[in-house]
Amino acid sequence: MSIELEEIAEFLKQHHPFDLLPDAEINALPKRLQARYFRAGTKVLSPEQQCLHLYIIRTGGTETRDPNGQLLARLSEGECFGVRAMYQNGRAANNITTLEDSLCYLLPEKDFHDLTGKYPQFSYFFSQMGGDRLRSGMQLLESRDDDQLKLMSVKVSDLIARDLVSIDKSASILEAGQLMSKERVSCLLITEGDDGVAGIMTDRDLRNRVIAKGRSYDEPVTAIMTEKPISISPDQYAFDALLTMTRNNIRHLPVMKDGKAVGMITTNNLLARQSLSAVYMAGRIGKLTEPEEMAKVIAQVPELLSHLIEAGATSHNAGHIVTTLSDAATARLLQLAEEEFGPPPVPYVWMAGGSQGRQEQTALSDQDNCLIIDDAYDAEQHGAYFKKLADYVCDGLHKVGYVYCPGDMMAKIDEWRQPARTWQQYFNKWIEQPEPKSLMLCSVWFDLRPVHGTKSLFDDLHRMIVSKAKDNRIFQAYMVGNALTHHVPLGFFKNFVMIRGGEHDKTLDLKHNGVVPIVDLARIHALANGVEAVNTYERLNAVKAFPSISNQGASDLLDAFEFVSITRLKHQVRQIRRGEKPDNFLQPESLSAFERSHLKDAFSVIKNLQSALEHAFGKSGT
Amino acid sequence: MGLREKILDSRLYRDFIQRKATGALRTYYDVPPADPDRSVMETEFIALDLETTGLDPKKAEIVSLGWVIIRQLAVDFSSCEHILVRPSKELSESSVVVHRIFDSDVADAPNIEAALEHLLPQMAGRVLISHHAPIELGFLGQACKRCFGAPLQIPTVDTLVLALRDIRRSGEPMKAGALRLDTLRRNHNLPPFRAHNALSDAIAASGLFLAQIAKRDPKGELELDRILR
Repeated sequence: MSIELEEIAEFLKQHHPFDLLPDAEINALPKRLQARYFRAGTKVLSPEQQCLHLYIIRTGGTETRDPNGQLLARLSEGECFGVRAMYQNGRAANNITTLEDSLCYLLPEKDFHDLTGKYPQFSYFFSQMGGDRLRSGMQLLESRDDDQLKLMSVKVSDLIARDLVSIDKSASILEAGQLMSKERVSCLLITEGDDGVAGIMTDRDLRNRVIAKGRSYDEPVTAIMTEKPISISPDQYAFDALLTMTRNNIRHLPVMKDGKAVGMITTNNLLARQSLSAVYMAGRIGKLTEPEEMAKVIAQVPELLSHLIEAGATSHNAGHIVTTLSDAATARLLQLAEEEFGPPPVPYVWMAGGSQGRQEQTALSDQDNCLIIDDAYDAEQHGAYFKKLADYVCDGLHKVGYVYCPGDMMAKIDEWRQPARTWQQYFNKWIEQPEPKSLMLCSVWFDLRPVHGTKSLFDDLHRMIVSKAKDNRIFQAYMVGNALTHHVPLGFFKNFVMIRGGEHDKTLDLKHNGVVPIVDLARIHALANGVEAVNTYERLNAVKAFPSISNQGASDLLDAFEFVSITRLKHQVRQIRRGEKPDNFLQPESLSAFERSHLKDAFSVIKNLQSALEHAFGKSGT
Repeated sequence: MGLREKILDSRLYRDFIQRKATGALRTYYDVPPADPDRSVMETEFIALDLETTGLDPKKAEIVSLGWVIIRQLAVDFSSCEHILVRPSKELSESSVVVHRIFDSDVADAPNIEAALEHLLPQMAGRVLISHHAPIELGFLGQACKRCFGAPLQIPTVDTLVLALRDIRRSGEPMKAGALRLDTLRRNHNLPPFRAHNALSDAIAASGLFLAQIAKRDPKGELELDRILR
């Protein structure tokens, strides 16, 4: 293949669902493509127009509107349109208009159907987009979308966990039962000659066909086995295996290659494959006893995150799910600490701050936490217990992968392990006598959320914080001054202002110049209006009702937050996929022109609302 | 277009040289040339680039050819081809540095006559697209003369000339590098391209051509005549 065509193949490999195709297939694709170019504003397709190709956007962007003019989607680089036409005899369903100058690759209808016929996971992606909804058996799966996608991309051969356990057909039922017990398997393959398969026998057969029937254990296994079992090829997908099992109401499926049995998969294998799902991971953490073992589970968070983002999760969902795992690890360590050091002498609540508090964690997180102890706390009597507890948990979290907070905002620091009355004094001081140093603490301690323990301990404190912050204009003005120190990277002419020099030359810091300014804005509006929520999404939704920010402004900010966050997450997923350590530094050039202009819009929104904030609250202190 | 090119592109001149052509070039001339009054949508194009051992068509030789065909204003990747050509003389060091094609690479390659026998049927009835066409026309013309006794005439669109017209029309001053293929592609929101070989350049020029046509007439109804060099 020529290098130019290799570049097209590389491009396809980077985009879902083409990345699901085997290399040989994807390398053969460019030769089947055509390229067409459309000026911005060109109507590429309209309803009922003949459309004999799937369009893949190489550069530029398009807008999809239904025949009534309702906006359905905005597509950019790597996304496809004309999908509906592929499933309705080459008749386009919607209006497609280019939003900017766009180069598209066109895949002929026939080649598209060849691929969807051959690769179920590829087909599944498009069926989700409104095509092939009737594909047999899809409804059988009621699990979440991301789990489904996983099943669509894992091969049966990857599921075979252990060597096949088999017995010759001359064996007795007793011998077979003993072998199953010894090998701890629920299913046995009955062989004939060297490689031949006579049948299979399961523990269910022992129950139903032997014990319940009062059959003698000396009878041959052939009397109770299932002959000519349904089987599957190692090259099929996990999804097909699950489908076969569900349809036939069986729990064991021999894997056959060229007439030989090469393995056995069970429903348990399939469920274990879902181990990346957050629910499973959280459950697993709850059973572990060593931070080192938890670290192995938490090490899968980047993979989980990639998976969530690729499956189309919003940043709000992803943040929530990832935080669930930090919470699970925290709670489990506290349980273990209590087992080791005994029950707490007085009630306490473990609080998460910062991004964990807001439930907005991503692939990289350090720990921000503190301990609020019941006012019955006596330092002399109880101090040692809580110090041990906090050390155990903070050190444990560090080992699990949540490294120590660089600002020392952790329960293992004496200052942040205090009875509720001391915390009241802290917040009183921060709110009534704000100073630059305390403002730095705000981003962590004003986003607190109870994780484990006696949660009511936080309730009174929280009410006090919210009501004090709401009434204190000076405090608010300080917060505003602090929030405005985070500039968005947008120049006077709406150009990106990038980091210059150093390791992150020519990049944008999506965290400090994108996410953080929005989080700050949401926090100020929430505190100023007495909103208790700490999650940015919830805060912005709640403040819509108040006059400090316009309804439109809050909505715009929500959109901007989602866009900047998802851009950051996608950037991190790309890094994870390349085996790099995820960071927040994005090269704008790695985005399509369409995404770039969206990002500029998002930054403009932040900038506008920052200046609106300055007008609404005044600014002082910095 | 200068008077000389006008003559060289004229029907009269074509009739004249056609009679002298032999072999594959004769067959090429048997196919009528693309009609300049038809729309570009209905015209077939061949975007072509070549690499040579030097700059002077009279002395230097072609070492590789790459092309791709455009039908109904769509680049058809199934048509793309890249062939190496074995020059009659050994490759000089300076030319190897430029195109990274070594003697060992071309040892089994066809000679220029065989290469043209493969290429000319692809060019027949089509319009040549090239970025800075005098190079391609010069080398192909010389090669045709040597192999088949007559020069090559083919209606040609020069993407560099189209770009020059765009810049002049815009009234903006010309910046350094403004006519380079990669600069022009970037300005039309085409993906970045790396100059690897004759085919990658031919494909790059084909994309630029589509963009230049889309700018003039999104439906592609304008006549071929208006974009010929």
